[in-house]
Amino acid sequence: MLQLTSDSTWEQLGKHPIETEHDIVNVRQFIRFYAKGLKMGIIDQTRITTAVSELLRNMYNYGGGGEVTIEKGIVDEKNTLIVTCVDQGPGIENLDLAMSDGYTSGNGMGFGLPGAKRLVDRFEIKSETNKGTIVRVMKWK
Amino acid sequence: MSETYNIEKVKERISHIEDILASVAAGDMDARVNSETEDDLSGIEAAIDLLIDDLTDELKQREKMQKEVEDKLIKIQEQQKTIFQQQADLMELSSPVSKVWDNTLILPVIGTLDSQRTQIMMENLLEKIVETGCTISILDITGVPTVDTQVANHLLKTVTSARLLGAECIISGISPAIAQTIVHLGIDLSSIRTKATLQDAMIYAMKQNKLSENVKLQTLFTNPDENED
Amino acid sequence: MNTELHEKRIPIIKIGNFLIVSIQVDMHDKLAIQLQSQILEEIEKTGAKGVLIDISVLEMVDSFIGRMLSGMASMASIMDAAVVIVGMQPAVAITLVELGLEMPGVDTALNMEKGMEMLERRIKDEDYKLY
Repeated sequence: MLQLTSDSTWEQLGKHPIETEHDIVNVRQFIRFYAKGLKMGIIDQTRITTAVSELLRNMYNYGGGGEVTIEKGIVDEKNTLIVTCVDQGPGIENLDLAMSDGYTSGNGMGFGLPGAKRLVDRFEIKSETNKGTIVRVMKWK
Repeated sequence: MSETYNIEKVKERISHIEDILASVAAGDMDARVNSETEDDLSGIEAAIDLLIDDLTDELKQREKMQKEVEDKLIKIQEQQKTIFQQQADLMELSSPVSKVWDNTLILPVIGTLDSQRTQIMMENLLEKIVETGCTISILDITGVPTVDTQVANHLLKTVTSARLLGAECIISGISPAIAQTIVHLGIDLSSIRTKATLQDAMIYAMKQNKLSENVKLQTLFTNPDENED
Repeated sequence: MNTELHEKRIPIIKIGNFLIVSIQVDMHDKLAIQLQSQILEEIEKTGAKGVLIDISVLEMVDSFIGRMLSGMASMASIMDAAVVIVGMQPAVAITLVELGLEMPGVDTALNMEKGMEMLERRIKDEDYKLY
């Protein structure tokens, strides 16, 4: 399974499996809740919630489900919400292509990623064929 | 006999000097030898007192200066806090949205636009549109000489977002420099309506309002039965 | 199969010649697609000429829901009904634009009242064309 290390100073807010559509709806609400907790404005709350929704959909539809870890911590001296999505699906074949702008509308693995990237402050992605994909996004106050 | 007596006294006096020096080292600024005798030793005693005077003077001065610097620092920090607050307030106030007449909002923008200010403006305007239900808004940037691509993007985002809400946002007063920036961004220009001056934009708004008034009236009068729901 | 029974169905109300759909819940994809079918069925059943989709309660519209709404408008127009999306929240509008979903060709209105006016105008225009 692919991994992205977490900083030891980060506080874990939740770890959720994504196995059903209801899980997606639930996690969306958690993200908004935590974003509110970090005192983000409503537009930023909506941005991170929407970005995560895109990632969760990918994970559910093409990654065979997976797990989301929600953390908070100080990044670049700012109060930051960190959301990491891991799946053990087929992986994204052409990451560069998937991350290019032509792919915002469409149906397929990795589509919706460039859109999500625009909504967040930091975006990291690792993907390996047949091993899975891991995406981490950050939004700070 | 007087020799031994003198040595004892001298030892005492030296011991006293040592005590005084120790006190000063420990922080007692008022300790002085204060010799009352007039002899060979008293010269040193007096000299030591003078030395202590100078030393404690310097120390007192330094303490005073430090306190002044600390006070100044606190004052500056408080001023900084005030400035931050005022900046935030200014951001809010610097782009007030006003409803000029039925169904039209105007947002006159003055000064330099940075990304943060533009985003705040955008949020304010959109909130105001929803709040007032005005379908026409005019973003007048006559007072803005140039914008960078980020700001230009935010301006265009404002127009598109307004459209998604069901309202029209007209940009007026675009300078030649800004026109160039916008075109270089390569956006679909048919999606934004621009007017050369605020006046032109206001006239356009009035015409639009008149038009929809007319259509409303037409709708009312041509099919009165439709309204019996 | 039991979960299907417990699925919320979003209510569709008919007022005059229009259908009003008020989306009050955070929808997952399946529910969104179900709603699309539901609306088209209602259009066929009632012969409604206009559909007002009220999203004033929705705090988030992601790319799937956005495309569902766009698709809805196209499908309904093929069935001779106009769709107006009503009450989008500013945060939602901004996020959709940033996602790259500008929904061209989809009619939107600030509120129900304006949405209805828009639909009525649309229908009147059609009538005028006949004369």
